Amino acid sequence: MQRLGISALFIAIALAARGDERPLNFANDIVPIFTKAGCNSGGCHGKASGQNGFKLSLLGFEPQEDYEHIVREARGRRVFPAAPNESLLLTKAINSTPHGGGKKLDAKSDEYGILIKWISSGMPYGKDTDPKMIAIEVQPTEKVMTLKTNQQLKVLAKYSDGYVRDVTRSALYEPNDKSMAEVGEAGLVKLYDLPGDVAVMIRYQGKVAVFRATAPLGAPVEKLPASRNFIDDLVFNKLKQLGLPPSDTADDNTFIRRVTIDVAGCLPTPAETQAFISDGNPKKREAVLDRLLASDEYADYFAGKWSALLRNKRSDPKDARGNFAFHQWIRDSLYDNMRYDQFVREVITARGDMASHPQVAWYRQAKDMTIQMEDTAQLFLGQRLQCAQCHHHPFEKWSQQDYYGFSAFFSTVARKASANLGEDIIFTKRAEAQAVNLRTKQPVKPTGLGSATLALAPDDDPRESLADWLGSKDNPFFAKALVNRYWKHFFNRGLIEPEDDMRETNPPSNPELLNALAKSFIASGYDLKQLIRTITQSTTYQLSAVPNGHNAVDRQNFSRYYPKRLQAEVLLDAVNNVLAAQSSFEGLPAGTRATALPDNSFNSTSYFLTVFGRPEGSSACECERTQESSLAQSLHLLNAPDIQKKLTDDKGRAALLAADASRSDEAKLVEIYQWVASRQPSPQQVKLGLEHLNRHTAGKTGPELLAAKRQAYEDLLWALINTKEFLFNH
Amino acid sequence: MLSLFGPQQKALCNGVSRRDFLRIGSLAMGGLSLPQLLNAESQNGTKRGFKSVIMIYMCGAPPHQDMWDLKMDAPSEIRGPYKPISTKVPGIRISEHAPRLAGMMDKLVPINSMVGSLSGDHDSFICYTGRPPRGAVQPPGGWPSLGSVVSKLQGQASPAIPSFVGLAPKAGHPPYGSPGHPGYIGPAHSAFRPNGAGMDDLKLNGISMERMQDRKALLQGFDDFRRDVDASGIVGSMDSFNQQAFNVLTSSKLLEALDLSKEDPKVRSRYGKGDPKNYGDGAPLNLEHFLLARRLVEAGARVVTLNFGRWDFHDNNYPQLLRHLPLFDQGMSALVQDLHDRGLDKDVAVVAWGEFGRTPIVNKQGGRDHWPRVGNALLAGGGFKTGQVIGKTDKLGGEPTERAVHFGEVFSTLYKFLGIDTNKTTIDDLSGRPQYLVDGWSAMPELI
Repeated sequence: MQRLGISALFIAIALAARGDERPLNFANDIVPIFTKAGCNSGGCHGKASGQNGFKLSLLGFEPQEDYEHIVREARGRRVFPAAPNESLLLTKAINSTPHGGGKKLDAKSDEYGILIKWISSGMPYGKDTDPKMIAIEVQPTEKVMTLKTNQQLKVLAKYSDGYVRDVTRSALYEPNDKSMAEVGEAGLVKLYDLPGDVAVMIRYQGKVAVFRATAPLGAPVEKLPASRNFIDDLVFNKLKQLGLPPSDTADDNTFIRRVTIDVAGCLPTPAETQAFISDGNPKKREAVLDRLLASDEYADYFAGKWSALLRNKRSDPKDARGNFAFHQWIRDSLYDNMRYDQFVREVITARGDMASHPQVAWYRQAKDMTIQMEDTAQLFLGQRLQCAQCHHHPFEKWSQQDYYGFSAFFSTVARKASANLGEDIIFTKRAEAQAVNLRTKQPVKPTGLGSATLALAPDDDPRESLADWLGSKDNPFFAKALVNRYWKHFFNRGLIEPEDDMRETNPPSNPELLNALAKSFIASGYDLKQLIRTITQSTTYQLSAVPNGHNAVDRQNFSRYYPKRLQAEVLLDAVNNVLAAQSSFEGLPAGTRATALPDNSFNSTSYFLTVFGRPEGSSACECERTQESSLAQSLHLLNAPDIQKKLTDDKGRAALLAADASRSDEAKLVEIYQWVASRQPSPQQVKLGLEHLNRHTAGKTGPELLAAKRQAYEDLLWALINTKEFLFNH
Repeated sequence: MLSLFGPQQKALCNGVSRRDFLRIGSLAMGGLSLPQLLNAESQNGTKRGFKSVIMIYMCGAPPHQDMWDLKMDAPSEIRGPYKPISTKVPGIRISEHAPRLAGMMDKLVPINSMVGSLSGDHDSFICYTGRPPRGAVQPPGGWPSLGSVVSKLQGQASPAIPSFVGLAPKAGHPPYGSPGHPGYIGPAHSAFRPNGAGMDDLKLNGISMERMQDRKALLQGFDDFRRDVDASGIVGSMDSFNQQAFNVLTSSKLLEALDLSKEDPKVRSRYGKGDPKNYGDGAPLNLEHFLLARRLVEAGARVVTLNFGRWDFHDNNYPQLLRHLPLFDQGMSALVQDLHDRGLDKDVAVVAWGEFGRTPIVNKQGGRDHWPRVGNALLAGGGFKTGQVIGKTDKLGGEPTERAVHFGEVFSTLYKFLGIDTNKTTIDDLSGRPQYLVDGWSAMPELI
């Protein structure tokens, strides 16, 4: 309705905007020029220290300060009403006086003209009663577009007096996926050739709007696999809209390997694969989840994930006791399937000592209110508030008032030393919970993001109120943040990317699906295992990774499974499985799997874990785990002494296979393939393997034959652990 | 779209986001062949195709007033026993124990007014990141060091040579053994350490080259994973890194760069050997590292760091200085001369510095203590305006009196030299916040 109103008004005014004779107002008319030209960006005059003695507020959020700096500072030489074009502000901007930032404005531009007019009329700031800009709107807000076409956006600023101005040329544009679209400075959206959705964030003086383009591929979607739950309905619906036909359903071998890795962080054993393949139960894909979700491996794998996010970091050898206890608590909670809202409550409200309440380990690393609040927002709500500590968040509605209101929940956390060095006791001190807004210097009471200030009784622990607010059914972020995080775990891409940056200006690729997942998660009583079941039992999760003729380009609509490289720990365990080897970790029993390691301290002694990107537990971001490939990784897997040692070990797989006279080489190749890829080798692969064995053993007998055979198996195993079929979950 | 020198500027937050990393990672580092990369860079106007930085961290903070900024007018308990000597540049005088450097002052720039250490805590951190030491507030993931930033933004210049190489061996005091941390950029861009765990991966381990080739053929036979199942580029970049790894193992360009027996004996003797053992809990006084650094940048490394000695002379300042300074004089002068001889002086910048300076007054143990208020640096190469001194201190060497230079300004200068615009380039930290490479500093006009 409002949109219609603005549009009608906009037509009525017929864009008399530019050149209209409204009196100039500094905040409305002048500051946007600096923002568009980049003068007040964080790299130039907008940084906290300014640039070469001239400071502007970041992105013009503080017009009053900017006015002071321009008009009054530097003895007024920045503006010169008697000869406006001699003003330093302008001569620098057009680079006629040497300017470190180069030429920012053209002397023939409208913007230059407005500045001249403003200076020659005595630099009015404007009156308090002048209209204020209250909202911006983009037209259109969404559109189905053909690939490789353009769309011109129009951006309207609405003022408190009802006035509407076209600010298309002054607004800033940024697509959320730069591989899909680019946007020119004047708001022209150019789509590339990737189908899907792209959102363009539009910013103008602290207000944001978003334009969503849907770019169908337009291929015929004739046969869809059977839908198994609401996920499929919503995904397939979207695929139909986009004309993006899904791949076929994956076969049993692919599925058992995929789901075992994704849920339990390990390879299925050949026996497990065999049992699954030969199981005649039509519901066996559901049944296998019961086994996996009840396993120790599931708890270990997800405990590793949460342990890093909850900063279970060994900063000092004396931290070890707490690291082990906190990891154990996380692991047990996941094993017992503690409700997620309860899990979060027990972490953020932790109090007492490490021995009886290991969750206080979170407070050992999250030392101050800033980290406690920012981690809570990012990890549990998918909201990145960091920017709002010092200035209004440039992409978001969050202000410093929101930042400090949310911080205030942690304002009464206190600590005192315990008998054990480095293990503080955490408690809530009796004080009024509040945090001081850095800018206004006024105290702010505990306030949930986007909600009203909570009424707290003097003895309430504000953290309990925070946990109540987080876990309430109406919380707009809590459930969505978790389901999006878990979705990404399984699909290698969040419905929102990055998974913990859930902004209005960064919308989900399938909003209906995100809502439905969140609703289902809440209705289940925040049941994490049930969520995993729902996801993995969808046909969507069970689609093949192999593209059909159309969907190879799809990266966000889940028309096929997106392969992912095995995580560092999973890969190390998998290498050990294939090679019948073990890794040893200092102070832990022999045979401890890398996925069961309690904290980051083992990274420093395992080059393998470091080089493949196991996180250090130093932030609440999943991105700390890096899946990037590197030369060092390649060298390590191809040529590390450690890998070579495992290959040649007397108890290793190569030695065992070479010495085993009871089976044929072909049967042994099958066993290797069952470990590496959970499938039978193709005839071609059997042939390749047998040829290699024969070439190396031909004409040899006795001990010489045995040695040659063993070497040949070492080569085969070496080759197979370096195949991408092994390195990826697919 | 693809930018080898960091993304093009839009108004804000246009940094290398995690979303972009695959594109940059797979294209800049893997997808582009070396000739393409070199071509792209030569279009940028650099002669050699790419620029490099050698950074020498003088662990523990050297006594600034006993090296390039002697205070002959100060009382004897400050001045010390050594005399300044004239240098090739009239008016510049440095310690008599650095005669070789004195003889090439036209190729050097001492900065006598380095500031920026907040606490006076020992750390390689400020030298390698340009940011205050670790105690200060850092963004999630921590500040990255120069080498990791360059590795991330510019990738490898040569397919067989890592972008960032750190020669520091482990040291008793861990920061003295750090080649610079990757911080929020992540371990894929950490230093390649020829004396660390990765070194063993460079030479074939218990198998012949012939067998490795045989294995490679076998791998190619088995590796039938369809590339088109991956639209993210990671499969492609993995293939490309595997190919590079085989290049490293077969061409042994990297091993050769690290093999000093391949060097002209005359050049080798100019650098000398120094002492490969760690000096106390610090780094070794290993002069061969200076030569290795030159060989590595010549072979294609973009950033090479080396840690030298242990200059934390709380006692016996002068005897310890006599152990350190003449060796530094030899290694540094050999390196700078070598770069000039090979025509690399415009393409390779050298920075040698410690984390702060030392107290003007010599203490009872004959040592100088921590003095974070001013320190020094020595720069060379880079096409910089050499043969000048930047900055002055008061007559006691206690405070900068002219042109205080922050570590961040030297970093800005190095980034500008490398073709990276610090006013525009950002890299996201682990909270997704775009971070600039330096905190508001600019390149030094005196140098560029």
